[in-house]
Amino acid sequence: MKLIRLISCTLLISTLSLTQKISIAAPDVSATTSNHFFLAKNATPTEIEEDFSDDEDEIIVSDPFESINRKIFSFNDTAYVYILKPIARGFRAVIPEKGRVAVNNFFSNLLSPVRIANAAMQLKGEDATNEIVRLIVNSTLGLGGLFDVAKNDFKIKIKKEDFGQTLGHYKVANGPYIVIPFLGPSTIRDGVGLLVDGTAFDPVSYIYDDETGRYVLVKLIDIENTISLDQDTYEAIKKDSLDPYLFLRNSYIQHRAGVVEN
Amino acid sequence: MIVRNYIRSFVSIFILTLSLNSLADGASPTSQVKSTVNGILDVLSEKSLTTDARREKIHKLLNSRFYFRAMSQRTLARNWKKATTEQQKEFIGLFSDLLRNTYVGRIEAYTDQRIEYLREKIKNAKRSIVYTQIVTSSADIPITYKLAKKGNEWLIYDVIIEKVSLISNYRSSYASIIKREGMDHLLEKMKEKLKTADAS
Repeated sequence: MKLIRLISCTLLISTLSLTQKISIAAPDVSATTSNHFFLAKNATPTEIEEDFSDDEDEIIVSDPFESINRKIFSFNDTAYVYILKPIARGFRAVIPEKGRVAVNNFFSNLLSPVRIANAAMQLKGEDATNEIVRLIVNSTLGLGGLFDVAKNDFKIKIKKEDFGQTLGHYKVANGPYIVIPFLGPSTIRDGVGLLVDGTAFDPVSYIYDDETGRYVLVKLIDIENTISLDQDTYEAIKKDSLDPYLFLRNSYIQHRAGVVEN
Repeated sequence: MIVRNYIRSFVSIFILTLSLNSLADGASPTSQVKSTVNGILDVLSEKSLTTDARREKIHKLLNSRFYFRAMSQRTLARNWKKATTEQQKEFIGLFSDLLRNTYVGRIEAYTDQRIEYLREKIKNAKRSIVYTQIVTSSADIPITYKLAKKGNEWLIYDVIIEKVSLISNYRSSYASIIKREGMDHLLEKMKEKLKTADAS
């Protein structure tokens, strides 16, 4: 199991270094290739006195695998609508919200090492310390992480950090956008991040090192519980946007750029 | 005694000028956002309203608070200039409807949650930002509003949910659609979307 993860990890890293070259070269050719598109930076209209060009952030999305990505996207859509969501509805029906929040807190607390390690790797001393304090407080006073005492009573809020963000912090580019089966939007960089976090810092992967079935089951419970607490965000996006694939792609890239920045 | 009276009148004049000033300047960005969000929540909670009446009310409210023309312009970005005046006009109409649906839908989903108004930043005479967050049982969802001054009123021209700008999102997906299929096709698609949204 470890070996497989290691191999896929190196494989992805080598793809990353390759794709980084592509994305560095991208700005020169992007205007003409369909794989890359840019948001207009200087949309200065003449019709209106107001000029909003100060506000047009340039967001670059490289999506050379779009046709495959779209297929996986529609596969994920089906899986979500017919499998994941119905199970999440079951969670909603059986477990009261307070219970699901506790489960959410528990998993979140369990993943503290991911946040501590990545905050530390980015030399964010205060964030790393906060996460350590949160881990200690919530594991003890919060009854094994079921209650977020650190946030409620000590006003120390969670700050999500992952290896994708760490790479981004050190200026590693996203690389191409990818859609991962079941997991959804990602990029090569963040995909590597997921693998590193999952193998090196996620306690669950140590607990169930040789029991892939159990590992998947635990992760599935976490994911289903998260979906059950969500306010139908995906359904809203699907309902409102002309092309949900593009909408999600851009949301993902923007969101990640935002979290890398702070 | 005389001194006290003097001070009192001075203070009241001071307060009066202050309030007059703020009247002239219009409401602060935060109060503008607050009244928008509260207004929508009020309309949504009025159970007696028919669907059409509710839509009409929200329509009116958002029209006076959202800077739809600027939003449309920023969404189309370079395609704005390429579009004919007719197309621009049609786009503003359709886009306003779509945006209203999206925004109200998101606010509606969090009706029962607490909304916190964190702080505001007035960048210059024409731009300001209001930071809010929706506090749910499992997470805090940051929602940031960008406002521009039009006349003496602050109008919302972008909503950023979880670091994702709605306008920027629309811009990139619409740009792809325009590039592939053209402006008229985009307008067609928007019309279709609105029709299915109305039906459901």
